[in-house]
Amino acid sequence: MEILEKIESYIGEVEHVAAWELTCLTEKRWEFYFIRHQLDQNRAVEEHTVTVKLYRAFEEDGQKFLGAATAEIPVTAAEEEIRHTLTDLIYEAGLIRNPAYTLTSEPVADVSHRETPSVSQIAEDFLRTMQEIPETQTEDINSYELFVSEMTRSFCNSNGVAYTETWPSSMLEVVINARTSQPKKMEIELYRMYRSGTCDRKQIAGDISRVMRFGRDRLVAQPTPAGLSLPVIFSTDDAKELYAFFAGRMLADMKYQKISGYEIGEKITERKSGDPLTLEALAALPNSSDDCRVDLEGSLIWDRPLIEADVARNFYGKRQFSQYIGLEKSSYVFNFRVPGGSESAEALRSGDYLELVEFSDFQVDDMSGDIAGEIRLGYLHRDGDIQIVTGGSVSGSMLEAVSTMAFSRETVQYNRWVIPAVTKLTGLRITGVV
Amino acid sequence: MKAVFSTYLTGLSTTCKQIIEALSQEYEYVSLLATDSQGLSIRISQHSKNVSNKNLTTERGIVVRVYRNGRYSEAAFDDLDVRNPEAAVARIRESLAMQDALLSAVGSQTYETGVLEDEPRTIFVEKEARILPEKADVQALVERLSALSDRGMREIEGALDVFLSVSGTHISKMFLTKHQDLRQSYAYVEATAMAYAPNAQGETKVWYDGISGCGGLELLDGPEGLDALMDKGPRIVKELCTAGKVVPGEYEIITTPDISGLIAHEAFGHGVEMDMFVKHRALGAEYIDQRVGSDLVTMHEGALCDESVTAYAFDDEGTPAGDVIEIDHGILRTGVCDALSALRLGIRPTGNGKREKYSHKVYTRMTNTVFEAGTDTKEAMIASVRKGYLLDGMESGMEDPKHWGIQCIVSRGYEIIDGELTGKVVSPVIMTGYVPDLLGGISMASTTCKLAGTGACGKGYKEWVKVADGGPYLKTKARLG
Repeated sequence: MEILEKIESYIGEVEHVAAWELTCLTEKRWEFYFIRHQLDQNRAVEEHTVTVKLYRAFEEDGQKFLGAATAEIPVTAAEEEIRHTLTDLIYEAGLIRNPAYTLTSEPVADVSHRETPSVSQIAEDFLRTMQEIPETQTEDINSYELFVSEMTRSFCNSNGVAYTETWPSSMLEVVINARTSQPKKMEIELYRMYRSGTCDRKQIAGDISRVMRFGRDRLVAQPTPAGLSLPVIFSTDDAKELYAFFAGRMLADMKYQKISGYEIGEKITERKSGDPLTLEALAALPNSSDDCRVDLEGSLIWDRPLIEADVARNFYGKRQFSQYIGLEKSSYVFNFRVPGGSESAEALRSGDYLELVEFSDFQVDDMSGDIAGEIRLGYLHRDGDIQIVTGGSVSGSMLEAVSTMAFSRETVQYNRWVIPAVTKLTGLRITGVV
Repeated sequence: MKAVFSTYLTGLSTTCKQIIEALSQEYEYVSLLATDSQGLSIRISQHSKNVSNKNLTTERGIVVRVYRNGRYSEAAFDDLDVRNPEAAVARIRESLAMQDALLSAVGSQTYETGVLEDEPRTIFVEKEARILPEKADVQALVERLSALSDRGMREIEGALDVFLSVSGTHISKMFLTKHQDLRQSYAYVEATAMAYAPNAQGETKVWYDGISGCGGLELLDGPEGLDALMDKGPRIVKELCTAGKVVPGEYEIITTPDISGLIAHEAFGHGVEMDMFVKHRALGAEYIDQRVGSDLVTMHEGALCDESVTAYAFDDEGTPAGDVIEIDHGILRTGVCDALSALRLGIRPTGNGKREKYSHKVYTRMTNTVFEAGTDTKEAMIASVRKGYLLDGMESGMEDPKHWGIQCIVSRGYEIIDGELTGKVVSPVIMTGYVPDLLGGISMASTTCKLAGTGACGKGYKEWVKVADGGPYLKTKARLG
């Protein structure tokens, strides 16, 4: 990239630069907005995010520090503006006292030759997929927004590490309506956000059909009863929030900041029941929206277990924090897999339980582990009956729930995550409506 | 002192107008928004320190909106060679032509819309700001934040870390059409403090607070400025670490201005964003002029309502900022609207068309959303509660315009029994309910309002923009879990 070469040449003229990193993320994006199936608006976007990070080394009282400051430089910036920014940056870097660490110097494999479909082709696949979704008089598509991008990241640093990587990244937001006229006119909506690399027609069509069924059921749902105390099953993409909590616990910065108390080689929980948890970092995951081989600091990503059968194995994350906790080699991770458990999804769905499939916003707090979500739709399985319920909330703590967490043998991919298709938690608080 | 309008944008204006002129030969409507917003972000903790010129609202780029045959299209670039209008026009044409070809190939139909008005209008606004974010004394700020983090570590029992951050942007935007030339420059600043500590069970508890406003870094000074942020931290972290869990059920509640603002935002803020009316995604469309709250509920929305982080003079479609009364003494009167949605609904836009940045689409978005004050004192409100909670500390919320459900996650509930705070705290608290019930139950409101503008608001799960919201202390009933 011309702009990177220009900035690199100017950095060479700045004093006190101990190290530097330069990144340009180019996004060529096509956007299409539909109301029902009529085009509301189309947009073509091309943007470049040029980031420069300058490092300044210094020593005080025998301790080594490495300060850093970051700037985004507009791609249209004139020479004078760039030089001024770099001068400011190296001054600001000198104000920052972070313990010393090093940038990567390991050359990365050539990742520039991956073949990716064109933005136009991916967009066409999505548009045709949406046109072919079966709709009925009572369940249909209210609106959808499609974002298809070709992402290209060019990176270089002062240690001579450089790479350029291109990958597709897509996002489809779909709003689905379900309605009834009997016993009274009622219409509800359900929301889905699909992220992926390209268009997985079968997955999208299948999930939208399932969501339409949820819509039908929600129209006849009864208020969630009060006083429920039974296992909760998660079987939609909300479940990835449960597993993301553990990925957070294995982040080097969470460990360094003492938010994560996990120790390598030690159990993350005293398991009482359920399945031992394994969490793997993946170097590649086909059709992930972040299927990148190299991280943002120029480190190659590789497959490794983060947690293995309930035992913490590897922290991961940025170089700064990885080195602070003593990791010799590390990288950030974009994609994860949780291998399936010992039982089938069918077996987990035995006995009494509440299966929750729609929330207004399901969250697991990455710091506290608090679980929270307002229930939009659930299936209450009790004494052999199935009651469709809505309203109320579910809450609890992931730190407590992990000791009895069980999950299915079958797995499913939700963008950057491959996780068990069904996850069963016990001990959650269910706040009913009546 | 004024926040001076971008010289970079001023330098582009003549050729931008030439681009508009050229595109107007083939399009019925052409507008161009150019942005040049510079900023600052400093984050300091015991474990890590960062300085950057980038934050949520820093940007430089151009978006062109065109209209032809009932359809609006946009092309956005950050490297458009505006100084060569002919090449710029060719690039815009080419990028949209490629999309036209695809849309024809898949047989896409257009949601036909009329053409936007282009009434002659000129606006030039430079708001007051003494210390612009890009002119900050970074060394002084780093030292000040470091000292506050150190103070937090000393004063907050068991603290694992104390984060301080300052962020601000000097926003310059230029909106041009054949007949309009609008330029504005203003700054906003926000500062936050966050501390976390483990409780006896090993759960990490987090406290967060912030200040914000329209203006420069001088907003960080004064009795309610940056240094005062840390005052409440030690007490609240201790409360969080010893808090119990609420017994699920319906309670009388009193909301602090922070939580009142969250309710305003999630209950009827999103619920009356009228692009949702166009898509039939908001129940509010069917309740205009009907009761949705008690007589004590009057709610305003608009960039003119407060000098906050979103106090612009015109929105991203060139509509002047407004102050709309959405709910008047419990009666839903109207919503807020971007220009295209207004055209489709046959009403006037309200100045609420906002983009995350130049490269993102305009949606109807909130600015300042605020309940009007009442006549009660906070003390009288607490004294009136038989069994309930004073809710404080916003964590998150989620809108539900179609069904009027509401979900708010609140940091702390302070127990009230027989009109007195018992000292017992529960955390976190999930407040859920049906919006008309929640607003209909409002029986008391305090005399003073306060707005908060830290953080950002999404539309669904994307499109993050700055907003502010608030109100007085409110008393109502809600389901807590």
